[in-house]
Amino acid sequence: MQTEESLLTDRPGLLAQPQAAELTAENVVVQFGGLAAISKVSLTVRRGDIFGLIGPNGAGKTTLVNCLTGFQAPTSGRVLLGGDATSGWSPDKFRKQGVARTFQAGRLFKEMTVLENVEVAAVGLGLTRRAAQLRAMALLDWVGLAPQANRIAGTLAYTDERRVGIARALILSPAFILLDEPAAGMSDAECEDLIEWVATIPDRFNCGVLLIEHNMRVIMGVCDRIHVLDGGRSLAEGTPAEIQENPAVMAAYLGMES
Amino acid sequence: MFIRTALRGLITPLLLILGVAVITFLGVLGGDQVQTSLTEMLIRMVVVVGMWIFVGNSGVISFGHVGFMCIGGYAAAWATVDPNWKSIMLTGLPDFLQNGQYPFPYAVIGGAVLAAVVAIVLGAAIMRLSGIAASIATFAFLMIVNSVYSNWDSVTGGTSSIIGIPTVVGPWVAFAFAAGAILLAYAFKSSRFGLMLRATREDEVAAKASAINVFRVRLAAFVLSAGVVGVGGALWAHFLGVLTADSFYLSLSFITLSMLVVGGLGSLTGAVVGVVVVTIVVEVLRALEGGIALGKATLSLPPGSQEIGLGLVLALIMIFRPSGLTRGREFRLPWLQSRAGVVVSNTAPATGE
Ligand SMILES: Nc1ncnc2c1ncn2[C@@H]1O[C@H](COP(=O)(O)OP(=O)(O)OP(=O)(O)O)[C@@H](O)[C@H]1O
Ligand SMILES: [Mg+2]
Repeated sequence: MQTEESLLTDRPGLLAQPQAAELTAENVVVQFGGLAAISKVSLTVRRGDIFGLIGPNGAGKTTLVNCLTGFQAPTSGRVLLGGDATSGWSPDKFRKQGVARTFQAGRLFKEMTVLENVEVAAVGLGLTRRAAQLRAMALLDWVGLAPQANRIAGTLAYTDERRVGIARALILSPAFILLDEPAAGMSDAECEDLIEWVATIPDRFNCGVLLIEHNMRVIMGVCDRIHVLDGGRSLAEGTPAEIQENPAVMAAYLGMES
Repeated sequence: MFIRTALRGLITPLLLILGVAVITFLGVLGGDQVQTSLTEMLIRMVVVVGMWIFVGNSGVISFGHVGFMCIGGYAAAWATVDPNWKSIMLTGLPDFLQNGQYPFPYAVIGGAVLAAVVAIVLGAAIMRLSGIAASIATFAFLMIVNSVYSNWDSVTGGTSSIIGIPTVVGPWVAFAFAAGAILLAYAFKSSRFGLMLRATREDEVAAKASAINVFRVRLAAFVLSAGVVGVGGALWAHFLGVLTADSFYLSLSFITLSMLVVGGLGSLTGAVVGVVVVTIVVEVLRALEGGIALGKATLSLPPGSQEIGLGLVLALIMIFRPSGLTRGREFRLPWLQSRAGVVVSNTAPATGE
């Protein structure tokens, strides 16, 4: 009999594999026709860290996440997982290798139940339905959504929807989880609530988190490192303290507000 | 508790089969005319339930499934027709088919296997396309099948029919296959593949991010679906006794797709209900076309009313109930309804949905 804890965080035998310690973008360029959405961006997300990715609208944050998860092939540059090249990997291959993500728009399977939403990712990773349900239920319990397990996902409150999306990405304990504006559209209080919870993920699941979020106060509070993008270019990277003192970042953000 | 859980899993297919059994039982009490319509309906149920395995779960409309019915029907006929006739008319058949004659069950298996093999090849080519592009490709496939089977004289008899197929399929045989198709379709829906495929229907991008290989799950469903439809073709051949390629073309595609849509693509219940409802509508219109006596006068609708009537029913349903009569729900008994926690029951909420 497995304990609740192991159901939550271990990876079943078929997935056991040496887990990458780093997810790296190396001089990544993405060109959409004439528009350079990303220009020569390099960054590294480490296992166990919360890595903040910030920048104004259209800065290229989502495009970069798409590159790191197989949804967008870089025009040039490479994405490395634990030092291995990932070129040609499909999104499902990335997930199988331990790189999970959520979407800015949520993208739940709206007509399926909350439980099925989480279960199906474990099934995609190779579990039987029964084993997948067991783990999905343990995870929903941890998220606090077990009472909603049989609800149709499309009927959930906005904040719960986001949590289900994160649970779907967390199932079977990925090595990295990339959260694209998980708190978009939430009030400040709801946002703080959610991010406080997100902050517990790295320790609990021994994974690295990449977090995109616009609320500066919140992001400065939880991140180990922060990378700033602007117009597709890297503006700065460093600890929250360094970023707050960086003149280029200050200029970009002050410029944005005026 | 255990029995309840097991029952809950099987309740939908069992209720559907029970319903179809009642209709079959009442139908066989009727005259020849009724029995013929009944058998036809049950065979179409095999075909439509087979289509639903792919179309219903993937959300990708296929116009090509009647092509698989054609392939299954001809394959079965090759197996069971008298070798003397084949050696004169179908000189292009391979030896084992031309000189051999096989029992009906082999013919059914042959029909399923050939349809499934063709689906592997076709699916490998088109299941990577987006939904709409794949649908159009299935339509092209239907046209290709029709033109091959209408013109390959030495193997299909071309435009002259294949005749003398043993007519061994009556209402109860057809019912048995319909019941089997319902069980298989429900087992698929409940399986790992069924769940993954439904996720791709809801959101393909999120499905990929959830480790699902969209191409692989679609292909698996497509092949299984084609196999079941191939069985439907084999039954059809052994019900009519005669085969022509043109009977597996546009009008049959239209009827079977209407059946799917009327009942509701989202559920197996929808596929089964759609077959029954459309059959009733068509039969009533057909009777009216033939004319019914009202006192001394005979009232009859002009020929063609059948198609127009069916079109109208379809349009009305699309307008007032776009997700079909069942609205994508399965048929269940309310007191067996699962509340929360398929596995963890201690966290069941007081009120569910
Ligand atoms: N598929 C695409 N085709 C063409 N242009 C695109 C595509 N995806 C993104 N872009 C463009 O690339 C740029 C970066 O977009 P991206 O969505 O990555 O920004 P973002 O930082 O995530 O913004 P937001 O904060 O609004 O989510 C934008 O100018 C956008 O219009
Ligand atoms: Mg974005």
